[in-house]
Amino acid sequence: MSTLDEVYQRVRAQVGTSRHDDLGRVSARDFQRFAVAAGETDPVYFDDASARAAGLPGAVAPPLFPTSVLGWDAGPPQDALRPDGTTDDEMAGLPLAGLRMMGAGQDIDFHAPVRDGTHIVRETSIEDVALKEGRSGPFLVVTLLRAYRDASGAPLATSRENLIARPEAEL
Amino acid sequence: MTTRFFEDVAPGTKLDPLTMRPGRIQLFRFSAATWNAHRIHYDTEYAAREGYPDVLVQSHLHGCFLVRTALAWAGPGARLRRFGWRNRHIAVPGDTLTCTGVVTACQVEASGGGIVECELEERNADGVLCAPGTAVLELPRRPEKDRP
Repeated sequence: MSTLDEVYQRVRAQVGTSRHDDLGRVSARDFQRFAVAAGETDPVYFDDASARAAGLPGAVAPPLFPTSVLGWDAGPPQDALRPDGTTDDEMAGLPLAGLRMMGAGQDIDFHAPVRDGTHIVRETSIEDVALKEGRSGPFLVVTLLRAYRDASGAPLATSRENLIARPEAEL
Repeated sequence: MTTRFFEDVAPGTKLDPLTMRPGRIQLFRFSAATWNAHRIHYDTEYAAREGYPDVLVQSHLHGCFLVRTALAWAGPGARLRRFGWRNRHIAVPGDTLTCTGVVTACQVEASGGGIVECELEERNADGVLCAPGTAVLELPRRPEKDRP
């Protein structure tokens, strides 16, 4: 396995690059399952009439739906998962194999709500990577900038997110 | 929920706190709904090997709790313009997580929208800060004749 410093250098070389993913069409069922799982009860997520009464065009997805979903397609078969159960795709295709990943937070600007039938297209830019020293050893912080748009190109949300990558635990 | 107007809010106004108690079923369903197979959220043995006392509440679920706190306080007609959070401390099934917030700034933008900025905190029963956040909301405005 390569050292954290080698991974850092490989990710560093990709800063400034971006990739384009067609995430497909969202159904009300997708975001309503997310809403139920998150414990939401606000009828604007479930009921068109309630949403319209609140000035919305119809039922909308909870704000964090598009930036929380990790897998947008069928995903890899089980034996292609990384040892911690995550997928390479979640890591924006970055060369982070052999590292443990953890979400550290996001900063999101909301432009328009996701609704039943919204077709989402996402552009992900590798904005930065930093090698840091923590109490339990060194780790990487990868910063991704993600722009979510609908099929016509109209912006839905823009998110800056931090991922923490640490060396594999001793198994 | 009652409508909360921009004119009725000022810096220092406290948001209504919300308390959540995420359990294993909620974590499982949240992972399923986000197609997240990360073992840290359902495999207790795996979590122990990483040094954690139990499976972990998802990063984004902490975020959802803070968003709900802001939107439930803001009421119908409010719009979330911007939201950010950080994961500072872990939470596990059965933890009691209390989300609080306070208004830090209010301003009217050029287009007339009433913009309110809030600082948010999610803490566990020991008072440890699990997730700080900020939200920028647009609140409905009172009719001009009723404004102070």
